[in-house]
Amino acid sequence: MSSLSANQVTVRYPGQTRPALAGVSLDIGPDDLTVALGPSGCGKTTLLNLFAGFVKPDSGTISFAGQPVTGPGAERAVVFQHDALLPWLNVRDNVAFGLRLQGVAKAERLARADEVLRLVDLPEAGGRYSWQLSGGQRQRVGIARALASHSQVLLMDEPFGALDAFTREQMQELLLKVWQQARRRIFLITHDIEEALFLATELVLMSPGPGRIVQTLRPGFSQRYRAGESARAIKSDPAFIALREQLLATLFDHRRKPEEELA
Amino acid sequence: MNTLETSLEQRLVAATPKVAPDEIAPEATTLRGGVWTQYRRGWLSGISLLGLLALWWGLSHSGIVPPLFLPAPEAVLAKLVTVSTQGFMDATLWQHLAASLQRIVLALLAAVLLGIPLGVLMGVSPVARGLLDPLIEAYRPVPPLAYLPLIVIWFGIGELSKVLLIFLAVLAPVIIATSHGVAQVSRNRLRAAQTLGASRSQLLWLVILPEALPEILTGIRIGLGTGWSTLVAAELVAATRGLGFMVQSAAQFLVTDVVILGIVVIAVIAFVLELGLRLLQRRLAPWHGQLD
Repeated sequence: MSSLSANQVTVRYPGQTRPALAGVSLDIGPDDLTVALGPSGCGKTTLLNLFAGFVKPDSGTISFAGQPVTGPGAERAVVFQHDALLPWLNVRDNVAFGLRLQGVAKAERLARADEVLRLVDLPEAGGRYSWQLSGGQRQRVGIARALASHSQVLLMDEPFGALDAFTREQMQELLLKVWQQARRRIFLITHDIEEALFLATELVLMSPGPGRIVQTLRPGFSQRYRAGESARAIKSDPAFIALREQLLATLFDHRRKPEEELA
Repeated sequence: MNTLETSLEQRLVAATPKVAPDEIAPEATTLRGGVWTQYRRGWLSGISLLGLLALWWGLSHSGIVPPLFLPAPEAVLAKLVTVSTQGFMDATLWQHLAASLQRIVLALLAAVLLGIPLGVLMGVSPVARGLLDPLIEAYRPVPPLAYLPLIVIWFGIGELSKVLLIFLAVLAPVIIATSHGVAQVSRNRLRAAQTLGASRSQLLWLVILPEALPEILTGIRIGLGTGWSTLVAAELVAATRGLGFMVQSAAQFLVTDVVILGIVVIAVIAFVLELGLRLLQRRLAPWHGQLD
């Protein structure tokens, strides 16, 4: 029972005819890197906010390790797309911020920060400030901060969405390395099909109107990356491309359907 | 972020006609202009100030304007020495200056101690905002000198009235800027801190206040500008010491060089206050204006 679970969850936002999420169930196990993929409006952000505790379900339950989730908590760290580092603290202090909140002694938390910064390939950046970093570096600091505080889950809200294609690919590889070394379960949302296919051990395809899960699959490409294959080789593999096109077709299919139901 | 700040400053400046808008938006120039532009602007400012001084010197030495109306620059400089050492109206320049500075410092401290908590309250609580906003908006647009007579009736002509007047002038900008800054705090930063385990008081002290600090300092800077001009005007009405009093009594005896000396000292202090707060802001909030 140590999984992070959504059980028949429905969320309605005031003033909207269709629920943002309708009857969604999802389990994220201890070794999973679960990716929710879908177009805007499919409810993936709502699902992440439910897991984080920012949003409460109208019906259904969210639970972690058997306990109901009632609000944000340190065991579920969130990595945001942007604007989440504290600009008045340097990188080390940002990474150590969670430990500071928990009252960990200064020397200990800074040592831990340096350790995690090495893990995200930013060993030299500790004394710099977030506004002196590139977008990719900032996201690494965000990941490091989420890892440093001994969280058990990383919830990642389109973490690489604002990065250029080249940096994004580097970050995807870094994430797989970090995931493997830090042994932390991850729930990541994205609208980038290649990213979802490449990263996910479990991929959840979502569709809008109302937001729901339409397909769940286990692509297995990240295991191939971990086994030593290069990212480019995997992403240009015919099997990868075929699955990408198939997912795209499914998404378009589901996008048309609700409109037909209305007509 | 920057446009928001500018609009806040414009809003605050709207009530403070004694400060030119150009002097209030320095970030805009430092952000848009490069080092070269700043450097050149420095030179141009120097040239125009020297030009003014030359004009003054020329006029006073030409004999067109009698010294009673326009004493020569060197006469004013000489007066600086005598007023500093022998004094004017039973007090030296430094004692007049100290009296004025003491009033503004007391008023500033009180305005900060009351204004920041109230501003935070308004920034986080819609109820507090709904209750307090009309009160502040009701008194803020009124020029402080308009309600000075009422304050004098209630509290007399002593120190309390003057400090209270300055306090009210500084308070409104501090409250408004603080509540604005607090309301603008990034939701992602708050949420990130929450998921790292921050309690409510940790959120306030470690996230909300540091993030609102640049705005708070802007409010203090604008409040000090208004407060200083109000103070000097208040000392014209009722005081036995202070720069405004010195200028006013010198005018009554037609000691024009002391009048000009007083005005220059008042201007220099205003400039130093403004510059000091800008430096403080740059020191304490170097990230301001550099966020993505």
